[in-house]
Amino acid sequence: MNRLRHLPTLRIRPEDEISIHFRGKIYKGVAGDTIATLLFANGIRIFSRSLKYHRPRGLYSLEGECSNTFMQVDGIPNVCTEKTLARSGMIVKAQNVVGSPEYDLMGFMDKLSWTMPAGFYYWLFHKPAAIWPLAIKQIRKAAGIGNLSPSFEMKGRYDENYLNADVCIIGGGPAGMCAALAASEHDLRVILLESRPWLGGFFDYRSADYTEDLALYERARALANQVEQTSSVRVFKHTSMIGAYNNNLITAFQQGTENDNFTERYIEIRAESVVVATGCIERPLLFENNEKPGVMQVACAHRLARTHGLMVGMAAVFSIGHDLGLEAAIDLHDLGLNVLCVADVRENGQESKLIAKLQERKIPILKGWVAEKAHGGKCLNGVTLTKIAETQKQKFNCDTLVASAGLTPLTGPLALAGATLAYDDHTGFFLPDKLPNKIYTAGRMLGLSDAFAIETSGELAGLRAAADCGTSLKHEIDAAEKELHALPGPVKGSQFVTATRGGKKTFVCFDEDTTLKHINQALELGFDGPELIKRFTSGGTGPGQGGIPGHNLPLYVRQLQDADNKTVKPTNVRPPLASTFLATYAGGGHVMSKHTPVHSSQVKAGGKMERIGVWYRARRFSEDKSAREEIVNVRNNVGLLDASSLGKFRIHGPDALNALQRVYVGDMSKMAPGKVKYTAMCNEDGCIIDDGVVIQDGKNDYYFTTSTNRAGKTVEWIRYHTRYDGWDFHLINLTDAFGVINLAGPNARKVLQKITDADISNDVFPFTGCQELMIESTIPVRAMRLGFVGELSYELHVSSSFMQAVWDLLKENGEEFGIMNFGLEAQNCLRMEKGHLIIGSESEQRTTLHDVGLGHLWFQQKPEAKTVGAFALKETETQKGRLKLVGIKMDDSSRTPKEGSIIVDEKIRGYVCTARYSNSVAESIGMALVEDHLSIPGTHLKIFEDNLGDQRLSATVVTMPFYDPEGKRMKI
Amino acid sequence: MSLTITCPICGKRNGYEFRYGGEDKEKRPEEDMFTSRAWCSYVHMNKSVAGTQKEWWCHKDGCGAWFAIYRDTTTNLEVSDPNEDGSKAKA
Ligand SMILES: [Zn+2]
Repeated sequence: MNRLRHLPTLRIRPEDEISIHFRGKIYKGVAGDTIATLLFANGIRIFSRSLKYHRPRGLYSLEGECSNTFMQVDGIPNVCTEKTLARSGMIVKAQNVVGSPEYDLMGFMDKLSWTMPAGFYYWLFHKPAAIWPLAIKQIRKAAGIGNLSPSFEMKGRYDENYLNADVCIIGGGPAGMCAALAASEHDLRVILLESRPWLGGFFDYRSADYTEDLALYERARALANQVEQTSSVRVFKHTSMIGAYNNNLITAFQQGTENDNFTERYIEIRAESVVVATGCIERPLLFENNEKPGVMQVACAHRLARTHGLMVGMAAVFSIGHDLGLEAAIDLHDLGLNVLCVADVRENGQESKLIAKLQERKIPILKGWVAEKAHGGKCLNGVTLTKIAETQKQKFNCDTLVASAGLTPLTGPLALAGATLAYDDHTGFFLPDKLPNKIYTAGRMLGLSDAFAIETSGELAGLRAAADCGTSLKHEIDAAEKELHALPGPVKGSQFVTATRGGKKTFVCFDEDTTLKHINQALELGFDGPELIKRFTSGGTGPGQGGIPGHNLPLYVRQLQDADNKTVKPTNVRPPLASTFLATYAGGGHVMSKHTPVHSSQVKAGGKMERIGVWYRARRFSEDKSAREEIVNVRNNVGLLDASSLGKFRIHGPDALNALQRVYVGDMSKMAPGKVKYTAMCNEDGCIIDDGVVIQDGKNDYYFTTSTNRAGKTVEWIRYHTRYDGWDFHLINLTDAFGVINLAGPNARKVLQKITDADISNDVFPFTGCQELMIESTIPVRAMRLGFVGELSYELHVSSSFMQAVWDLLKENGEEFGIMNFGLEAQNCLRMEKGHLIIGSESEQRTTLHDVGLGHLWFQQKPEAKTVGAFALKETETQKGRLKLVGIKMDDSSRTPKEGSIIVDEKIRGYVCTARYSNSVAESIGMALVEDHLSIPGTHLKIFEDNLGDQRLSATVVTMPFYDPEGKRMKI
Repeated sequence: MSLTITCPICGKRNGYEFRYGGEDKEKRPEEDMFTSRAWCSYVHMNKSVAGTQKEWWCHKDGCGAWFAIYRDTTTNLEVSDPNEDGSKAKA
């Protein structure tokens, strides 16, 4: 198609060719084309088939108000192609057709429309009941638009943005731009959202006069320049507002351009005040076949030419209800369209200059006339006009019918923000009746039509919004009010909805194929409110979110009911106002994890790294899943474990001890110098949530450790449980500041002695001792003698920056003693052999301190501190019927149960927490939580596993530890 | 998600930065005086008022402080302390 290449209003770059794939062919277009305009330029007029009747559908609004141009793009269904910019290489497919949009094999459905009255699925198919499952199957096959392949994987990069602003302005037309400029003059941060890829609103495509020597589009571009050069205004183009919540939280999403590093991004803005300047859409004109391809709205036809350089057809009839329709007829005529006739629903009130211009061009104008029926097969080939309330008719042959009843404000954003809307007799608009705090409106949506009035109303709204941010602007606001008052006010709008009451194929909602007939049926059945009728006919529930039927449906219902204008309301809208990818809501899926200071050396040593909480840790260092070699080496020689993820904290200050007494079950006031104290934390229910060691460094100065899992929660926990006390203490999370090396095995002392001069003999530094050591006379290290794995071992807490150095020194000096890395798998088995628990592994939410056999840690005489969980510990100490932690030995040592397997008799009695084949004791052993009556040593347990049929694994309850029961080895 | 909370240290911030700490139930009572039922009620029972309630929040992604605010549960907006005169409005 020949483009109108030299229009100054164009938003395409004709010199940049692009191409997309459609129906096995390549279609060429130019940069700036949407997918729909590109296809239109190639002669495509039918883009899809409708939901129920498979009627052909074409370009209608260019604003995404209906699903007419929804297509599948690059595998993604339901892409609104009239709003999506075309990119080279896109693969576009039609939806909801069997065959092609032109030759849809389901097209016969249109002829069957009489079988599908409003809500037909509610009243058909339920008698006899047996038919219903069959009907569901068929309806599901036919219903819905678009198909998503189950194997489809969403491509692209999805971003999110959380912003703060003083003033957020929705709508980048003249009113919105003026509001932004007015607000930005007062040192405020302004955000401006515009759904099109450019600013300018309804000025952007119009060559009509703004002033004598300036066209509207020139004015719009000048304003846009000014806005974009104002540093305090952040402009988001191609950004649709999708939700508004209280506290002026605005959500939106932005479509990325080829130059952006995101495909789409979710934007959330917290603004002090908000200006809604979303302007108007056109009120669809209701007549027979009002959605036939070839019928389109005024701005659609006008923008096709002025923005995209595409002439809509050869010969056109206009049936309009607003001066913009007259303006478009004149402009398109001048650009070469054969305008056969303009029918205006208004008897009078047209701008006289426009009438004069029509007459100059010898375009017939029929006042008080309207389209009654569109003719043609798949596409339009004629139209019958009729004089309103009379029988006079005229028929025209044409390929285009530009049809619009008038304007209607885009009220969705306002409604979401909580404004109440009321019908206004003068404008015929739904206008805000009551606006929420700090929300303002401006521009065309108030019924204004004069360019200066629109701009001034924007300025006024911008000033009012700015005043909400703490600037005193009384003088400026008064001046702007006065100025606006002197300009033309809201114009009288068309009240007209439809000429006919019949309309088998007069569509109120295109998305759902809802006709006037359906609404009449609903009314006859007693559905008397628009919201009920919306549900019953499903009109307005489609992806267009009420854009097309949102105002027409209640107005038509009112017209039929002769109801009071005051009570009529638009049907409800809900977020998201524009269709958005779920991927956009999901965002980037950032993986946040931490590496220990010796991470890379773990990887280099062949560590199989696993994500444990926020950390990456080595599970094992060989292919052997049981890590047997590592285990044996710790038992016989010496091993090295990176335990840096342990939580590490310092608490100090006058009330440090009080705080520890509050959260730990033990008596923290009795700490021996140079010794660690093993203790635990419970929640208020007495359930164990953490264990660790505490060291007293000085008076009211303590160092303590938590499990990896609790490291991130400990500060919050301690502060929460002391929140009423006003205690004075400092709590510092040192988890990332220090790494931890566990050096364990009978040779541990020999290795450590090689790199320190300190006396670390068992007499000076015994089990549960704690010392500060100097490594190579340089590196200070806090060393503790603990026995988690049951051998002589040193837990070395090393400043993170020295971790690698100490690790390497130990490896080097331990070589002669057979030192080897060990990982979490080895540690897990080693500690299980000792009966040492890991919280969360041998405990669950309802497991108390008593249940895991650690009741002895609880010090009962702490009246002042009121230990968290103490009351419940008292209550549960002798409680019957609880699950208790026991050691189990499998009767068949070659058969280790799966972790989590349930222990059963005629009922479930517990479950296996951890189980391994233990090389150290040559048995299959484990730990289990079982009902207390089964916890006595010697009790036989039956373990259920899948695939065993009626067979059960059998085990016996035994005392723990399994290995070195006297605990001699860790004390050597 | 539209909630903002005024941290006594950091000021008014995005609600995402905070963790809810439950209704205000006043200071831990003397445990000796309690029956197990009364203790359980103190720990687990909530008033769940429709209206203004005092509640605890932790500025977990900020300064880490625990503090109490008043919130209208029907609008999900922070409000001023109803016990003071309305001069110190926050929201
Ligand atoms: Zn804070």
